[in-house]
Amino acid sequence: MNIASAKNSAPGPGRTSHRRWPANAVRALPFCYAAIVIVLVWQIVVDITKPDPSILPPPIDVAWTFGHLAGDGELAVHAGYSVARVITAWLLSGIIAIPLGLLMGSSQHFERIVNPFVELLRPISPLAWIPMAILWFGIGESGKVFVVFIGTFFPILLSTVAGAKGVDPVLLHAGQVFGCTNRLTLFRRVVVPAALPSIVVGLRVAFGTGWAAIIAAELVAAHSGLGYLIANGMDILRADQVLVGMIAIGVLGFLFDTFFRYLQAHYGRTAR
Amino acid sequence: MNAPLTTGKPLCISGLTKTYETRTGESMEALGPISVDVAAGEFLVVVGPSGCGKSTLLQILAGFLKPTDGTVSVNGEIITGPSIDRSMIFQSYALFPWLSVLDNVRFGLRRKTIPREQQRSIALQYLRLVGLQDFADKNIDELSGGMKQRVAIARAFAVNPSILLMDEPFGALDALTRRFLQRELLRIWQEQQRTVVFITHSVNEAIFLADRILVMSSRPGRIRAEWRLDSPRPRDLNSDQHRRLEAEIFSLLDEEVTKTFSWAT
Repeated sequence: MNIASAKNSAPGPGRTSHRRWPANAVRALPFCYAAIVIVLVWQIVVDITKPDPSILPPPIDVAWTFGHLAGDGELAVHAGYSVARVITAWLLSGIIAIPLGLLMGSSQHFERIVNPFVELLRPISPLAWIPMAILWFGIGESGKVFVVFIGTFFPILLSTVAGAKGVDPVLLHAGQVFGCTNRLTLFRRVVVPAALPSIVVGLRVAFGTGWAAIIAAELVAAHSGLGYLIANGMDILRADQVLVGMIAIGVLGFLFDTFFRYLQAHYGRTAR
Repeated sequence: MNAPLTTGKPLCISGLTKTYETRTGESMEALGPISVDVAAGEFLVVVGPSGCGKSTLLQILAGFLKPTDGTVSVNGEIITGPSIDRSMIFQSYALFPWLSVLDNVRFGLRRKTIPREQQRSIALQYLRLVGLQDFADKNIDELSGGMKQRVAIARAFAVNPSILLMDEPFGALDALTRRFLQRELLRIWQEQQRTVVFITHSVNEAIFLADRILVMSSRPGRIRAEWRLDSPRPRDLNSDQHRRLEAEIFSLLDEEVTKTFSWAT
């Protein structure tokens, strides 16, 4: 009896003080820890091997350059270009791939017509399209948007098709029995909402591949963007600038993915 | 007894057969011929060994499958496809996980031309009927299996169908929940006076629920025997009368199952 009541009362105050920590801060802890370890190892490597700063600068130099590039707004401008290109291409992909995927997933006939094209084009990496993009579009915005479009299109298409095809047949039956007697209503009221979680996954994955593709495209042909920033750093032997670009790419990619995970957890939770 | 009011047959199955083409091109008789008339307000339970085509029968009644021969008519009209006039309760609940409990019940009402305000009040009324009025705004994944099936019952009754089709609706539930929901279903059915076609492989369930029990033969599924039950509900399954009936039905079913196995070998 005493033990039980002691047990019951003890965690009370302890738990409330623990709850003072915002859940997000607690979730961020492992990542902070990983970041600290990476910086420590980096510092140790620099201390031991004493490389030329143009090969591997110490973390503090990079932090300094980061502060400088962030301070005069250059970093934000480059990041802004990259993000804008990805979002444009990603939205474009979504607008085309989601309806196409829903149609492919719900009509076998249509899928049989379209699928061979998809399967032939899909293995060609978006990076392999970069030279053609430059030939066709020059080094303007459209070429880069095109490359990211290729990179984001297939992940969205494939998971949309999978979502539409994977709708539980019993839900289709339920839809029909409860009044969706024509295909269009059934499609709108059952197929689309049932496929939605899968579409959200596709959008998230595609944003990741798009983010990788834009950096590659900017490395080759651009005067702006984070890819350009690191390519330029390499040209002028500024490893610190390259590393600042890499850090920005990593952090932004991570933040976007976190954002999508959040969306998925709150709005895509309908997958049974 | 429970058959009231209308004179016409709400459900008339005549000469129904279903033949499947196998992959090798042979035709396989799955069902029938079956002819049954169901009276208004009747609770008809179909029992049969697994693979006897009782699910095929229900799929045809729902309009998902076309019969090879014969017709099904509801209130005198031959059915051609699924209709909200024949609503259904599925073994796997088949609730829409992207909709709230209330919106699941409202789903069918939205397809009918009922004003929005009224949809809501009807849905709430049926949720109250199954005792889930406090769960209206919950998500489907927050509910237990028994609660999900109660939502499905509310959804099926709410659209005011001529016939309710139930495909082993309690087959996925634990024994206690099953007993509870059988009682609930009877209460709701008695209150709502609906015609029900209920498929099960549980003889006890059939005896507990039915006005009439049809026992199906093994493939091709035909009606092997028929019993009318008029003992008052709730029924005591341990009474002599029900025990005897149970034994009779089981001996028939045993025969049929044996046939299936002797075919297979």
